[in-house]
Amino acid sequence: MRSRSIPMREVHVWELPVRIYHWINALCIVALCITGYIIGEPLAFMKGTEAYFNYWFGTVRFIHFVAAFLFFFNFIFRIYWGFAGNEFARWYNFIPLKRSQWKEIMDVIRVDILQITHKRIDSIGHNSLASLIYFVTFLFFLVQCLTGFGMYAAMSTSFLPKMFAWVVPMLGGDMNVRQLHHIFMWGFILFALVHMYLVFYHDYIERRGVTSSMIGGWKFIEEDVVDRHKPEAGKKS
Amino acid sequence: MEKRPTFYEEVTDSGVPRRDFLKFCTAMAALLGLESSGVGQIVKALETKPRLPVIWFHFQECTCCSESFIRSSHPEVADIVLNKISLDYQETLMAASGVNAEEAYKAVMEKFPGEYLVMVEGSIPTEDEAYCCIGGRSAYQILEEAVKNCKAVVAWGNCASAGCVQAASPNPTGAKPVHKVISGKPVINVQGCPPIADVMVGVVVHLLTFDRIPQLDGLGRPKSFYSRRVHDTCYRRANFDAGLFVESFDDEGAKKGYCLYKMGCKGPVTYNSCGIIKWNDGVSYPIQSGHGCIGCSEAGFWDNGPFYEHLPSVAGFGIETNADKIGLGLGVLTAAGIAGHAIVTNVRKHKEIMNEQEEGSSSEKTKEI
Amino acid sequence: MAERIVIDPITRIEGHLRVEIEVNNGVITDAFSAGTMVRGIEAILKGRDPRDAWAFVGRVCGVCTSTHSLTSVRTVENALGIVAPPNAELIRNLMANALYIHDHVVHFYVLHALDWVDVVSCLKADPAETSRIAQSISPWPKSSVGYFSDVQTKIKKFVESGQLGIFANGYWGHSAYKLPAEVNLLAVAHYLEALEWQKEIVKVHTIFGGKNPHPNYLVGGVPCSINIDEANAVNAERLAFVGQLFLDAKTFVDQVYIPDLLAIASFYKSDWGAIGGGLSNYLSFGDFPSNGYNNPESFKIPRGVILNRDLSKVHEVKAEDQDQIQEYINNSWYEYSKGDQVGLHPWEGETKLKYTGPKPPYEHLDFGQKYSWVKTPRWKGLPMEVGPLSRMLVGYASGRQDIKDVVDSTLKALDVPVTALFSTLGRTAARGLETKLTCDWALEFYQQLLANIKNGDTRTMNNEKWEPESWPKLAKGIGMVEAPRGALSHFIVIEDKKIGNYQLVVPTTWNSSPRDPKGQRSAYEESLIGTPIADPKNPLEVLRTIHSFDPCLACAVH
Ligand code: HEM
Ligand code: HEM
Ligand code: NFV
Ligand code: SF4
Ligand code: SF4
Ligand code: F3S
Ligand SMILES: [Mg+2]
Repeated sequence: MRSRSIPMREVHVWELPVRIYHWINALCIVALCITGYIIGEPLAFMKGTEAYFNYWFGTVRFIHFVAAFLFFFNFIFRIYWGFAGNEFARWYNFIPLKRSQWKEIMDVIRVDILQITHKRIDSIGHNSLASLIYFVTFLFFLVQCLTGFGMYAAMSTSFLPKMFAWVVPMLGGDMNVRQLHHIFMWGFILFALVHMYLVFYHDYIERRGVTSSMIGGWKFIEEDVVDRHKPEAGKKS
Repeated sequence: MEKRPTFYEEVTDSGVPRRDFLKFCTAMAALLGLESSGVGQIVKALETKPRLPVIWFHFQECTCCSESFIRSSHPEVADIVLNKISLDYQETLMAASGVNAEEAYKAVMEKFPGEYLVMVEGSIPTEDEAYCCIGGRSAYQILEEAVKNCKAVVAWGNCASAGCVQAASPNPTGAKPVHKVISGKPVINVQGCPPIADVMVGVVVHLLTFDRIPQLDGLGRPKSFYSRRVHDTCYRRANFDAGLFVESFDDEGAKKGYCLYKMGCKGPVTYNSCGIIKWNDGVSYPIQSGHGCIGCSEAGFWDNGPFYEHLPSVAGFGIETNADKIGLGLGVLTAAGIAGHAIVTNVRKHKEIMNEQEEGSSSEKTKEI
Repeated sequence: MAERIVIDPITRIEGHLRVEIEVNNGVITDAFSAGTMVRGIEAILKGRDPRDAWAFVGRVCGVCTSTHSLTSVRTVENALGIVAPPNAELIRNLMANALYIHDHVVHFYVLHALDWVDVVSCLKADPAETSRIAQSISPWPKSSVGYFSDVQTKIKKFVESGQLGIFANGYWGHSAYKLPAEVNLLAVAHYLEALEWQKEIVKVHTIFGGKNPHPNYLVGGVPCSINIDEANAVNAERLAFVGQLFLDAKTFVDQVYIPDLLAIASFYKSDWGAIGGGLSNYLSFGDFPSNGYNNPESFKIPRGVILNRDLSKVHEVKAEDQDQIQEYINNSWYEYSKGDQVGLHPWEGETKLKYTGPKPPYEHLDFGQKYSWVKTPRWKGLPMEVGPLSRMLVGYASGRQDIKDVVDSTLKALDVPVTALFSTLGRTAARGLETKLTCDWALEFYQQLLANIKNGDTRTMNNEKWEPESWPKLAKGIGMVEAPRGALSHFIVIEDKKIGNYQLVVPTTWNSSPRDPKGQRSAYEESLIGTPIADPKNPLEVLRTIHSFDPCLACAVH
């Protein structure tokens, strides 16, 4: 395969805090989905023994709760970073209030999802559709934290979970909360599947080094795009 | 027969002279930090204040709340009915029938405005008022009139607190709990189907002893009995934490008293005192007798079935379908979508690479579009 | 001149019953009974998991709690071909026996006694004489002069307080009360004792089913496991507890209930042994299998029908026969897709509410048209009385020795002919007699259970068809039980692993229903005809007969 003739420029897109956030988040979610699934559907691998000798299910739940706290504070940090971070991390990316964002969303659907036209998408950070999806996942995070801590409030005396004690009565009882929490797990699993696929997809199609960008922070962006959208961004390097 | 004894009458009847009664009032006034003029107030209050009159209605119900009530062991029901409250209307127990019965509660409403308690067993139909009539009047008409001047309402059981079985989908009669049809009065939801006998009398004793509404949780249930999940006080909890589960009824685990979580136990989502107070004078409770909790003190628990599954089935998908099955289905669809998309992508990319090799640069090509 | 009297609410029953009577020259010439509350539980059951049905139908009634649950698991098992293991059958029997004992004792003292016993009159009693009577009829230890005078003082204080509570506005002093003051005092003392005692026997439910009211049941068996080497299961302590509860129950029934029943009956037998007979057809589904539910010959109470009070023949009952059991709605507030005049076998039964009565508040129901939420069941087109009297009669006519013995000895003790059974008093007496029998049966079942466990059989569950995958696409089942109030049947159609149709035909439905298309009255209405009413303002006599059936309207309508 030949290399591109068009000049590319390295752009530092993801700051270190975003990258750390991302991987903590990803790990937590994987851990939470696995432990959560087990909590919902415990394995049957023990019989004929005494409770006294075992605590495996308690441990699974413990991991879930530890990961939950980590996930929660990590999420809080990301909310803050949406105000403090660089332009690619900021909240205005995520909420499509501008016409141009909606236009890009339509473009992405046509180019990347349906593949009915060929066109380069010019975004440097997330494209607008991705941003919107991430925004929705942030809402999922919120719901999962509310329902999770809502349930946790009943088994805790610490102030943080207690602050969520209102969730259960609002949703009419623990069963509803639990069911919601469980259903949303599937939202995360589906998101992760599609998300990882799309990361690789974009890397393959756009060849901007998206996959490694969440590790090193750098993307390779076409010079004309950088010049048009963000001349100073590339220069920082 | 007409008049009820006041505190004064009761004290003097038992042989205490009026002088001592007045002394007692003065002492009370001092205790409450009242001026000497306040003594008169207390004297008056005690001379005229009757014992707590109670009207107990039955609407759409099964009378298991009354049945549970008479199972109480501390205090026993005879003690409550004869000595603690004045149960002036209670269809299951009262001697009078027909108009004589109706007169009994009307008299309470007339004579003790603002002082009596209304206790309700059963839900109120709203689809058509004629779904529940007593003496030719509808449940709603009776209740509305009775609560107008009551002190507070005690909603017995899941029926009066949340609508219970008759409110389960499709709720053919539009059954509603008390707090959804009346307003402006405190409602104590004594949950359960039925509530535990000693919890019921516990609430009554609380009202009498402390003369105030007990602290309620977000769903109107007295915290003293409903602040803990069955799961948190379940004696099988150690088996839960150890991951030792009953896998089918009467299996080896069942015979050893393992946790019933996988048999659908709703203890983890149910707030009640079953694990602590237990049932019928502490003899047992559902889990101790081998069946999972079905969540009978929670609103809407009937529609959280099937009872033997951990997760409720999702409405519209049939009894066997829960969130996991739907999730897995969507997961498979997504994976299929991804695979399809990947194939299309590869075909396209392959073309692009071929084009690049022929024409030079792919970016020039894309720019043309 | 005909006078129309309304009694609504009928109290000291379960649920919402309205009775309107027409009195001509001091005698009831027509009567209408109406159930005035509906919940639509049959409609709610549609589409649910058949294994959950026991819990839903259990909530039909908290008074005969557990009886619908038992019927339901039998129904589902019948549909799916599941046979519960013997221990499960025995435990179910024990629970049903405990229910009988509880329900009948509570009925007699708390719900029925005040129709015969004048509470206020007991104040005039001489406690010494009461004590003498008590000791002459029973060895029950609470019978000293001091005991009865304490009770009397308690009641005196209560009455004088003016706070009559549940006793307010009763028919005290009514001319139909016939007991001497001393017997009234005895009965009032036992009223209070019964109230205190009744909470004990239900512990049988708590031990096996975790709670009461509304203990847990299970399709395929019972939820509790037996393990005599484990604290977490039914073990020697739990079993001993059950045994003790039944022994104590037997003592209470033999030494308190039965002597009181006979004492009171002896004062009322001359008139009330001839009033309130009503229908002359009696239906029993039979119950208490001693060798499996699928083996009706082993039932302690036999199955069968008696027509026209002819005790020489017992007719066979087949609930699955489409012509035997049918329900009509010509006078009930429902709609059938085939019109209002047809009768439907419950497998084809429909429950669609359609109220057409007067808008509340109303003075009278219009008996020219539909007037009740109770449907009208018929056996081969005939109205049937169900309940303890029917059971004792079918048992008697079938020649069951234990049943014959208690019936005959009671008739002899009261010195009344067998026809005295067809009456209000007969109904009340039959309930007492069967309670006595039940205590003995329970102790038998208890011994059988112990023997099984001793022989190493501890199974309480049959898991074979637990998973819905093992069920056929379409299945139909019937469950029959003798509930405390009479013959109870549930009918299920299971379609695609869900409930396609579920119908309950309940004892009080048989007894309290409105008229059928032929104009035939059901038991309540029929039994009131001809009853003398001394004082239309205080129709105590109506309560006597109606209460003798132990009405349960939540059951009847569901
Ligand atoms: C990506 C995020 C998360 C996922 C996918 C997830 C998933 C799950 C799942 C599937 C269950 C089992 C529910 C059931 O069927 O019973 C569960 C239980 C639970 N989760 Fe989460 N969860 C997440 C985050 C959280 C958070 C942030 C909290 C906050 C404390 C939390 C607290 C809980 C609690 C308390 C339970 C119930 C555990 C028990 O009572 O045994 N979860 N979770
Ligand atoms: C192999 C695994 C993963 C890789 C290579 C990866 C890579 C990336 C990359 C490159 C981005 C930026 C996307 C863009 O520019 O549009 C991103 C964003 C994101 N990823 Fe992942 N990801 C992975 C797994 C996950 C997982 C498992 C989750 C959680 C379910 C996750 C959640 C997110 C979120 C929420 C963002 C938005 C980040 C933000 O701006 O705050 N990722 N990921
Ligand atoms: N009728 C009736 Fe029941 C009974 N016994 C049940 O089937 O009372 Ni509630
Ligand atoms: S809450 Fe349950 S127990 Fe109480 S009346 Fe309703 S159905 Fe019966
Ligand atoms: S049996 Fe139920 S309540 Fe008890 S520990 Fe297990 S899940 Fe919790
Ligand atoms: S079913 Fe009800 S009785 Fe207790 S254990 Fe559960 S809350
Ligand atoms: Mg029916």
